[in-house]
Amino acid sequence: MPQEVEKYSKPTRILHWTHLVSFCLLFLTGLVLFIPGLGIIAQDSWTRVIHRIAAAVFIIAPLIYIPMNFKATCKGIKRAFTWGASDLGWLKAAPEYYFRGTEADMPPQDEMNTGQKLWWLIVLVSSVILIITGLIMWFGKTTASPATLQWMVFLHDIAFIAAGSGLLLHIYLGVIHPLMTESWKAITKGTISADYAKKHHAKWYEEVTKGKEVKS
Amino acid sequence: MAKAILYDTTKCTACRACQVACKGWNELSAEVTTNRGTYENPPDLSPTTWLKIEFREIDPGGIVRWLFTRRACMHCTEAGCVKVCPSGALYHHELGFVAYDKDICTGCGYCADACPFNVPRSDRNLISGIAKMDKCTLCTTPGLDRLSNDLEPACVKSCPSEALQYGDRDQLIAEGKKRVESLINKGWTNANLYGENELGGLHVLYVLDDHPTVYGLPADPQISAATIAWQDVMQPIGWVVGGLTVLGLGLNYLVARASVNSDKEKENAARS
Repeated sequence: MPQEVEKYSKPTRILHWTHLVSFCLLFLTGLVLFIPGLGIIAQDSWTRVIHRIAAAVFIIAPLIYIPMNFKATCKGIKRAFTWGASDLGWLKAAPEYYFRGTEADMPPQDEMNTGQKLWWLIVLVSSVILIITGLIMWFGKTTASPATLQWMVFLHDIAFIAAGSGLLLHIYLGVIHPLMTESWKAITKGTISADYAKKHHAKWYEEVTKGKEVKS
Repeated sequence: MAKAILYDTTKCTACRACQVACKGWNELSAEVTTNRGTYENPPDLSPTTWLKIEFREIDPGGIVRWLFTRRACMHCTEAGCVKVCPSGALYHHELGFVAYDKDICTGCGYCADACPFNVPRSDRNLISGIAKMDKCTLCTTPGLDRLSNDLEPACVKSCPSEALQYGDRDQLIAEGKKRVESLINKGWTNANLYGENELGGLHVLYVLDDHPTVYGLPADPQISAATIAWQDVMQPIGWVVGGLTVLGLGLNYLVARASVNSDKEKENAARS
């Protein structure tokens, strides 16, 4: 049996799946208002009720996760905003890898590679925008000024476009892309093979295995 | 041929027959009102009050004037509500009006925020978000459609002082201009016809004896900047970004699968 290293802890995986399911619901019930011709599906407000229920889950899940995993949260947020020269190298080498499967030029990566980090950054920023503008539209509907509400829709749309397109890419890489097999295992079982970790997350692999036995 | 309503403020006696006829014909329930020291009631438009007469008291130069204005949907040609409605519940009627199919309203309330005249009203549950909008349909509500049955709108039918007229828009503009001219000749130098060109032309025209703002009407109604930024800029950007993402992923899949397969083939060939 190949050696495995833990990539995502259980609470992180639970948060990921809770957030993914609620965000997919939010995405789809939002999409019907965005694409002309689909709006008719939303008649009688039912998609908007689902949107609110999913929004509640989307907001409450991290509120439970954060105090229980405070250190991991701080580390994770810091990571999203730490960018360096190797990120540029990764972005240059990425098309060759994702299209052709050639990874010779990929610089050694941390726990998150540049692409994952970019997505994580989009998730963080757009979630904050979506939640704030969404709450204003939800609870300020009868009290906020029409101009305020309209600009909230506008901002909600920008975050929706960024996060929605990113979501498609995220699901594609996690589930469909022919080379991405370990990422699915990482987010379901929590571990990736030591071999894969060495190749794709060299910096992180060194850190976690320093002075430790790799569990088998 | 576009139709319109012409409302002449100088002929209106504020009898509010139009208000009652609107409720009667459109099966809208009455509202409990309180005496607020004015004949004006209910205090505002609502899901069951699509039309109301507003009362204003002003005293320019010490002479008190009691002004009446009709408040209801203006049926704009460039209608903010139609522009933002995601389900097509709000649409332009062939006669030019902003018609409304309540069945497919999603309750999003975008129309209310986009309306330059603050007309649409919703019954709304704030927590669940369940809502339905209502506004004047100019008597084109399916099942209660007066216009296609060659009847004039209920409000016009009920008006005893001919302050309300219904007819071809072009004719009514000519008629309105004549009225304005005669008012100017009588000394009402600020008299004007409101609605001829505003927002591409309103389908409710007003003969006013003073500036629109005196009657509580915006002097230069516009589609809001947010509506344009959102509908004309951000949504198309969204379709392009989303479309390119899907295309790019499809392309990537085809190329990546081909190269993975050819790599495998090479491996197999090397082995055998």
